[in-house]
Parts: sequence; C-alpha cells; structure tokens
Amino acid sequence: METYITLALAIVTAPLFPGIILKVKAFFAGKQGPPLFIKYFTVMKLLRKGSVYSTSTSFVFKLGPTVSFTTALIVLLFFPFAGSMPLFSFHGDVIVLFYIMGIGRFFTVIAALDTASPFEGMGAAREVFFSTIAEVTIFTILILFYRLNGSLSFGEYFTGETHISPMNASGALLLFVIVALFMVLLTENSRVPVDDPATHLELTMIHEVMILDHSGPDLALIELGSFYKLFFYSAFITHIICPFTFASGAVNGLIFFAILTCIYIAIGLTESIMARFKMDLVPQFILTSFALVFFAAILTMGVLQ
Amino acid sequence: MINVTESILVITLLSVLLSLGSTRLIALVKIMALQGIMVSLTPLFLRGDDSLGSGAIIFFQIMILIKGLLIPSLLYMAVKKIAIKREIEPIIGYHASILVGLVILIISVFITSHLRLSLPAGHDMVLITAITTMAAGFFLMMARSKAITQVIGYLMLENGIYLIGTALTKHSHTLYVVEFGVLLDLLVGVMIMGIILHNINSAFDDADTTLLRRLKD
Repeated sequence: METYITLALAIVTAPLFPGIILKVKAFFAGKQGPPLFIKYFTVMKLLRKGSVYSTSTSFVFKLGPTVSFTTALIVLLFFPFAGSMPLFSFHGDVIVLFYIMGIGRFFTVIAALDTASPFEGMGAAREVFFSTIAEVTIFTILILFYRLNGSLSFGEYFTGETHISPMNASGALLLFVIVALFMVLLTENSRVPVDDPATHLELTMIHEVMILDHSGPDLALIELGSFYKLFFYSAFITHIICPFTFASGAVNGLIFFAILTCIYIAIGLTESIMARFKMDLVPQFILTSFALVFFAAILTMGVLQ
Repeated sequence: MINVTESILVITLLSVLLSLGSTRLIALVKIMALQGIMVSLTPLFLRGDDSLGSGAIIFFQIMILIKGLLIPSLLYMAVKKIAIKREIEPIIGYHASILVGLVILIISVFITSHLRLSLPAGHDMVLITAITTMAAGFFLMMARSKAITQVIGYLMLENGIYLIGTALTKHSHTLYVVEFGVLLDLLVGVMIMGIILHNINSAFDDADTTLLRRLKD
C-alpha cells in the first residue's frame, strides 16, 4: 500500500519541484518569478495543442518523445521512495535501469538526428559525449555500493538489512558520493554549469537544441520525462543523505520531501551563483566527479577492509 | 553516529582533489582555507574522550585562526593586489593533474598498508590523507608556473606534514610547540611572499616563474 502511495506522490509531484528551482533563481534575481505550479500549466498547455511534423522526418522522430518519457517512468517504478518497498525489484536492476535511461537518451538523439538540422546534430553530439563520461562516474558509484553492501538493486541499497547510510562504518565515504552524484545530476539533467536550460542561442545549447523541432504533446512528454529524470536523481541523493528507517511511513515521507526540496534549492542556488562552463571545461568537471568516487572506491579497498 | 574524524579527513581529501583541478586562484585560496580549518580540527576529534588541557585548546584555536583565516586572507590580498585571476598555462594540465591525484592516493594507500607502523586504531585513514596531501602539495609546486600557486602548494605540503605528526605521535604539548614554531615561519614566509610578489609584479608586469628563470645578472 505504502509503495503505491509514495510512487503516486512521486509521479504527481515531480513537475512541482522544477518550479522551486525557478522560484530560487527568481529570488536571487530580485524578481517575483513564475508561480510554483508553472510546470503543470506548461504541460497542460502543451497537451491541448496539436503536433507539427516536418515532412523530412520519419517515424523515428515520432518515436523519440514516447520512448524517452516511458524510460524515465520505468526507472521510477524501481525506486524505493521514502524507504518503502519498490514496486518492482530484482538483483541487478540498477544496471538495467541505467541502461534503460541510456535507451531513452538514444531515442532522443536519433529523433534529433532525424530532423537533419545541423544544430540538432551538434547538440546530440555534445549530449552523447558528456553523458558517456558521466556514465563512468555512475558505474564507479555502483561498484562502490557493491563493496559497501554487496547488492545491485535500489531496493536492497536503501531498504535491506545492510542498507547504505552515512551512519554505518565507512559512511564518511558517502560524502564523496553525494558531491559526485550532484555533479552527475547537473550534467545528466542539463543544469547550469554544464548546460543552461534558459539559453536562447542554439549554438550554445546541449539538451534544449535537440528538442527544438518537437511540439505540442510530444514536447509535453519530453518535459515530463525530464522532470522524472531529475526527480529520480534527486531522490537517489536524498536516500544517500538520509536512510529512511523511521517507524512510521508518514514521517519517512515528510522527511523525504523536505530533503528533496533542499536538493532542488541547492540546484537553484548553483544556477544562481554560477555561470556555465566553457564547453572544453565540461569534461574536466565530469572527470572530477569520477575522480571523487574513485577516491572513495580506493579507500574502501585499502583501509576499511 | 556519523564518524566525525573520517568525515573531516574525507573533506580534506576532497579539498586536495579540488585544488588540483581548480583553474581560478581565488577558488584555490578558498579551498586552502577550508583545508587549513579541517586539518587543524583533526587532532581535536582524534583524541577521543581524553580531557583537553586549556593550553592545548588555546594552541588549537590559534592554529585554526592562522591556518584557516590569517594565511588565506594574506594570500587573498596578494592575489587581489597582483590581479592574477587564473593560471593560464600550467606546466601539467588540469585533467592530468586530477589523474595524478588519483595515482597519488593509490600509492599512499599502498604505502600505508605496507609500512606496518604500529598505529593506534583508526589512524590509518589519517596517514593516508597525510601522505596524499603532502604529495599533492609537492606536485602542485612542480606543476604550476605562477609563484602564488607554488606557495599554495607549499602550504599544502605543510598541512600534510602536520597531519603526519598527528597520526604518528601520542598527543603531547611539545609536538604542538614545535608545530607552532613551523607555523610562525610559514606565516612570515607568506607575508614576505606577498610583498615580494607585489614588487616582482610591478617591476616585470608578471609573476610567472618561468619568465623569472630567464633573468641574468
């Protein structure tokens, strides 16, 4: 029962949180900012519209948004929100899930290439390049988690007997993971130091340029998919910061959403106080996150055995 | 309970890695301030439940003041005065520096496990952090061309040595008196460096040490 409630809450509230990021940015700019529910309005507006398809595109272009939305949704089904049991879980599901997200990205990329627009090809090349490096970090995190608790599924990471928690032995190493995962979050969801979601120049875009040709319900699906992806990464960090092992489900849920809000505020803060990197600095940024997790992995092998 | 000592050491390692990858000098100075504070906090938490003498507490407080506040602010003033914003052409690039940082860490884990020192329990991590910090500071001195970055590398080296001291010794006041003397030297050194850098900069329009090498009598 708890599983269904938390999952439903996650799916319903995911578009709310990007509104928080916008509010934080508006606060720093001294503006009032859009209303908190702006993303719901956007999605509803887009769903009411019709789609326009260029005559030069094929079925691949129409497939892209659907697949990227579905993959983002599938990942949520496997995640133990607020410490409740995940809806589905099996040994090794993390690897499958990260590759399912890879499929989502692949379809976004080929839909972008299908439009034969030079800008979109450029954005696709960048997106693929950066997320390839980010994958190294993610899989090093998985290796580290395997060493820490010997499991390979989100359910076992955060709900089992030997769940991952900063309170455990060698929990201090999770500091590295939190910082690295936050950097991966910024990269994978095209947030500010890597990509600027609010930019208006195609030449400097990474993610946004790939979806320029999508319109109406297609764009709504892409937006929803990106909200779910961001929600998934933030929830992942939340669970590493605080294991949800309190007695009552309601307390778990409250603390979960409180920490989640803090993470979104942190994203907003980063976006407000940082400028985006030059393109050639981005690989270094992602490599730093890899180096951090690798540090932690080495330390588990050397000392804490 | 969260292990405070380990967290502090992990933050120290984090600062070492970030300092190897950071291009801006102001950011580097801020990282050094954080590292200074973390390093001087380490012995406080390492002692466990032993009672601290009032003398020791004063020493630690002065240590935090000098390492975390005084030296970084002097560096900050020096950076502002000579108006260098970033290291443009490091001798070894930033990607390579981060990789070297990883190699240094692996080597220091290896050294620590093979030295077979009779360390008190839980001091392994301190020794690893210490060796890494020291080697990374040494590397920073070699790999960067600006004089101010080399001074920062020297400071990191000193932080590492201080950590080795805390890892290897039973805590006694005499150790801190010696450390304190070293710290005073360092402080004077940083002050003089600031003045000299300012003069070099106004005389030659640049504080790049590779250019200084070409000077002749």
